Amino acid sequence: MATGKEIRVALAGNPNCGKSSLFNGLTGSHQKVGNFSGVTIEKHEGYVDYRGYRIRFVDLPGTYSLTPYSPEELVTRKYLIEEAPDIVVNVLEGPNIERNLLLTTQLMEMGVDLLVALNMYDEVVARGIEIDVKQLQLLLGCHIIPTSAKKKQGFDALLDHIVRVHEGDIEIRKNKLGFRQEIEGAIDGIAEQLAGEPALSGFNPYWLAVKLLENDREVYTLVKEYPVWVKVEIALQLAIREAEAVYKSDPEIIITEDRYAFIRGAMQECVRMPREERASLTDRIDRIVLNRVLGLPIFFFIVWLIFHMTFTLGTPLMEGLDFLFGGIAAAVSPHLANETLRSVIVDGIIAGVGGVLIFLPNIVLLFLGLSFLEASGYMARAAFVVDKVMHRFGLHGKSFIPMITGFGCSIPAIMATRTLKSRSDRLATIMIIPFMSCGAKLPVYILLAGAFFEPAVAANVMFGIYMLGVAIGLVSALVMKKTVLKSDSEPFVMELPPYRWPTLGSVFLQSNIKAMMYVRKAGTVILLAVLLIWVVSNYPRNPAIDAALERRIASIELGDAPEALKKASIVEAEHHANADQLEYSIAGRAGKLMEPLIRPLGFDWRIGVALVTGLAAKEVVVSTMGTIYSLGEADETSPELKTILRNDPSFDQATALSLMVFVLLYIPCVAAIGVMKKEVGNWQAILFYSVYAMGVAWVFSFLTYRLAQLLA
Amino acid sequence: MLLSELKVGDKAEVEGLLAESAVRRRILDMGLVKGTRFKVLRVAPLGDPVEIFFKGMYLSLRKNEAAGVLVRKIGEARDGAPMGGARRRWRFGS
Repeated sequence: MATGKEIRVALAGNPNCGKSSLFNGLTGSHQKVGNFSGVTIEKHEGYVDYRGYRIRFVDLPGTYSLTPYSPEELVTRKYLIEEAPDIVVNVLEGPNIERNLLLTTQLMEMGVDLLVALNMYDEVVARGIEIDVKQLQLLLGCHIIPTSAKKKQGFDALLDHIVRVHEGDIEIRKNKLGFRQEIEGAIDGIAEQLAGEPALSGFNPYWLAVKLLENDREVYTLVKEYPVWVKVEIALQLAIREAEAVYKSDPEIIITEDRYAFIRGAMQECVRMPREERASLTDRIDRIVLNRVLGLPIFFFIVWLIFHMTFTLGTPLMEGLDFLFGGIAAAVSPHLANETLRSVIVDGIIAGVGGVLIFLPNIVLLFLGLSFLEASGYMARAAFVVDKVMHRFGLHGKSFIPMITGFGCSIPAIMATRTLKSRSDRLATIMIIPFMSCGAKLPVYILLAGAFFEPAVAANVMFGIYMLGVAIGLVSALVMKKTVLKSDSEPFVMELPPYRWPTLGSVFLQSNIKAMMYVRKAGTVILLAVLLIWVVSNYPRNPAIDAALERRIASIELGDAPEALKKASIVEAEHHANADQLEYSIAGRAGKLMEPLIRPLGFDWRIGVALVTGLAAKEVVVSTMGTIYSLGEADETSPELKTILRNDPSFDQATALSLMVFVLLYIPCVAAIGVMKKEVGNWQAILFYSVYAMGVAWVFSFLTYRLAQLLA
Repeated sequence: MLLSELKVGDKAEVEGLLAESAVRRRILDMGLVKGTRFKVLRVAPLGDPVEIFFKGMYLSLRKNEAAGVLVRKIGEARDGAPMGGARRRWRFGS
């Protein structure tokens, strides 16, 4: 398609105005997701072919305003200025048109080609709200198209308008709202000076002047670069002094007040709200859900429900996938004659990547649940309910859900921190998520607690481990926020959006996106890491061990034991050889090298090896121990492994406890580290985190070990 | 008086802002400008934040952010209960 026939359209609107539903409805399956450059805010792009044009939509992050205090606002504004889309469609939430108009007044000022989509129009009609669209159109100076994303109404009219605006068929009058005289005078004066500065010719001087009066940091730093600043600064000071003298206020407040005054006027002229007799549905639900007594229990019930759903539905699927990968491995291996190649592909790639991909059902289910909570409007309530506790630890109410998600798997949890706007809140939350014991650590606890404690005690031990993780996480957050992550805590001034029944499509789309991100990760970073761990636990090879194994097998076969016994002896010999080979490998040597370091925790080199390979995935700790103890395939339920551990003189209750604590606290699997890096954006933070987590793990394991020995 | 001093059920009008920088901007952007009338709907189960209602919007703010909003009371809560009506019987946190 010719590039000239393309129209680039940006969708802007408040959060919860139905913008994303509109975007999904318009673009259907022609979507892709990336990140806005330099930030981890998702960028949704899509297109629709209409009347010979390819109309490309970008769904900008939802914002209430274009004064950049949050990353979303900054991204939206930057995009509008730097990418200069052909047309900006401002999506308004019809039933709450009044407060949505603040953004509209700011868009009008920017001088972009504006179209207004009056969304949720079906609801406007149903609730008996009368909007005089024609009159409002006159006031705003741009065309208004009633739409309903949910009922797919008004799409053609919207696309039609976009094309007609693009072709110049519709002229958009660039209306401005009038500020009070003193401010208007100041704006004009400053704008005139700015217009004389050639370096700023790419910007609308009127808009720059308004932003300067609004005390906008970004625009300040921009204008300060140029000589015109000397004159502008004087004019600004003057305006501020005048505002103080006349109104006992400052331009920033006056401008916002005048915007709202304009909006109030427009509302009086164009909108008739019916008198609402009954409390709204949202209010009635909130009376129960946010009740002082019931609020917390309901919250915990909902969290429990999501977890329960994730793991009861996810586990069979997970087992199915596990079975599938086992099948693939079994099908592939006979076709690979070369022993090394077979080992790389089967034990390395298939087992490694499979081990990561089997979590996919859990991740998808968890995100289905979370997307549902988000789209329905409960997520903001969850933050409201727990904010007080979280705030005590220097976190934000919105940190709670990602933290809880961490009990399932750190990866979706880390991705879920994207709802946090303050960078320091977000970093702190990301760094404590791995302390929430994820599902992969459970096999380790089951094996160790099961081997060394009575069943009743074992459950308490495991519960204690989980609680220790939560406690260390919260205290860590507090410490970090007081030291390295000082500064900008996000204020808790947020909208609790009205409850809505989410559209199925958008909920699925959201979880799909997250799942794809995870799969892509598994295909790249994780694949590499898994291969690396395969190499270090298989190389260098010791030919002496292979030769010894062959001699042993030969001598067993020559012996006169019954056939079944011979087979068992051969398997045992192979397991011994594998264990010897692992000891000889880089991982084994690393384990031995580490031994002095981990000796105080009660660990010998064999546990060291398991901790190294555990970086691939925490469950691998168990299977590695199986290999080291010459058992071959082993999992947490193997009675043999439990017996061997119990009979090992270097292993006792204190060691088991210490190991559980260490596995809980030390750095998570490579997949989680990879996602962490992606979300945080730099390696310094990851390095800091790794050192911190290892330090905490060592100290607490040491304390656990010594205490347990004292008490035993 | 300050928004944080109102009781659940009270109605009030915004008179001005004491809050600064980011919080102030945020409050302005959410529409709590001079003359805006609102009602205090409830407090969270643990006593903080509070939720207010105005112009079809449910807004929640922490008490220390609510302390940055100057208000004039224009309507009393019917039962005159202190902020968080249930507090007399239920005391979570502090």
